[in-house]
Amino acid sequence: MNPLELTLGIMTAVGGFVDISELVFAAKAGSTFGYALIWVFAFSTVGIIVFSEMSGRVAAVAKQPVFNLMRHRLGLKLGLVTLAASMIANLITCAAEIGGVALVLNYLSGAPYLLMAVAMTAVFILSIWVLPFKWIERTYGLLGLFMIVFAAALVAIHPPWGKIAGGLIPQVPPGLSRKELLNFAYFAVAIISAVMFPYEVYFYSSGGIEEEWSLKDIMTNRVTAVLGMGLGSLLAIAILSNSAQQFGPANVDPAIPGTAALEAAIPFGKWGLILALLGMLFAIAGAAIETCMANAYSIAQFFGWAWGRHKKPWEAPRFTITWIVLLLLGLGIVLTGVDVMTLVEFAILFSILVLPLTYLPLLLLSGDRKYMGEQVNGPVTRILGWAYFAVITVAALAALPLYLLTSGGNG
Amino acid sequence: MARKLLPLLLFSIAGCSQGSGPEADLQYIKQARSIGAEWALINEQASRGSLTPTYVAAMHRWLRDNLQTTSASLTQPESRYGQEIQALVAQPDDAAPGQLRAHVEQLKQIEDSLESA
Repeated sequence: MNPLELTLGIMTAVGGFVDISELVFAAKAGSTFGYALIWVFAFSTVGIIVFSEMSGRVAAVAKQPVFNLMRHRLGLKLGLVTLAASMIANLITCAAEIGGVALVLNYLSGAPYLLMAVAMTAVFILSIWVLPFKWIERTYGLLGLFMIVFAAALVAIHPPWGKIAGGLIPQVPPGLSRKELLNFAYFAVAIISAVMFPYEVYFYSSGGIEEEWSLKDIMTNRVTAVLGMGLGSLLAIAILSNSAQQFGPANVDPAIPGTAALEAAIPFGKWGLILALLGMLFAIAGAAIETCMANAYSIAQFFGWAWGRHKKPWEAPRFTITWIVLLLLGLGIVLTGVDVMTLVEFAILFSILVLPLTYLPLLLLSGDRKYMGEQVNGPVTRILGWAYFAVITVAALAALPLYLLTSGGNG
Repeated sequence: MARKLLPLLLFSIAGCSQGSGPEADLQYIKQARSIGAEWALINEQASRGSLTPTYVAAMHRWLRDNLQTTSASLTQPESRYGQEIQALVAQPDDAAPGQLRAHVEQLKQIEDSLESA
């Protein structure tokens, strides 16, 4: 197996796990509730591994990306509703990522935030246009690995490893008031949403088709899903644990990505800060490209257009116009001056509402022997898949009331 | 029926979390306390040479903007916590961490007493 093949999973995971929402929510969760929410990350990571593996396997065997399935399984009407909802969720997420990249560049260079948003959107358009799919994933995925500095920072500050391990056990901290319990529940739902963002599965399965996966790639898919998502999860848990150790006792509730970068600066000084900011820059940039591409894939697949970066841009003109317009729309949202963190909150909220509709058709198709033959879901995947579907459905129903009751986790 | 009830329910829930007075200001007190604590941490690390000047300047701008927004959102700006937040706003960018933490401590005490009430 070519190690570079794993970059698809690494980019999806680093971009998906450690995008702007993950950075802020992991850091906030650690400072507010210590290590008590680590288990939610671990639990959601198993969920995204299960569904990513499923979507990659469907791409390899049935040669069907997620949105093709959705149209056939949900029907035109419900399929359209899902498309519209996921488009809004992905667009808001993409705008948040563009804003996040601009913020990080502002911390690095001092250049004006809005100017950086415009410049980076131009860089994104250029890199998607010029680079083949494999090089898009390798560039952003591998450079995003600067984020490993957060794991190194955790080791350097000698945290209480026993308490971190204890955080893996499902728990609700004792002695919380009603308000704090609601906040805890909101954080749990937000983390599930951020870890299992639907765009990750759209991007991952479409990427499998871009790379022409077939039956011989089933093992690559499995390893990629487990290693890629596992690495992303470890980084998120490192950010949470650093925050529990460094920010909680200092009364800091991190509200922007710039605060998270302090986690590496405290043990490693300037170089730690610069590496953390560079890692954040490429991870968030990767997420911006993923969300934009995932949206364009969904629309093109739903309407049956020619799509994919394995084609020249002019060979799939409607797909090309779609991803360019989506990036420009994301930039337009940022240029209105709306706060990036407000965008993050809305992205999380919209995404969790779409999650059940994203994963249901995938579960149905990957469990259908007529399409999947020998590669149909085994008993473990089937049980896990339906259990996670039940959990995300409950989380989707609870998300909006919890958001309102806790003022978006600030209550 | 459900279509009519859902928006009503959401507005009722949203309404419950609004209001005025210290209870409504609690989220702003928390924000100001966190911003003050972050400001102290940044100045402390900057004095040790752990941060780049560009990063420090960008963070100071963000902290000050948000502290001013938080202060302007208070329903009772003349209260004790309002005065503490104003005192934080009045600090120079390179204020001593100890001085900033003194205000943070005051805000934390007010926050804790409001939460336990």
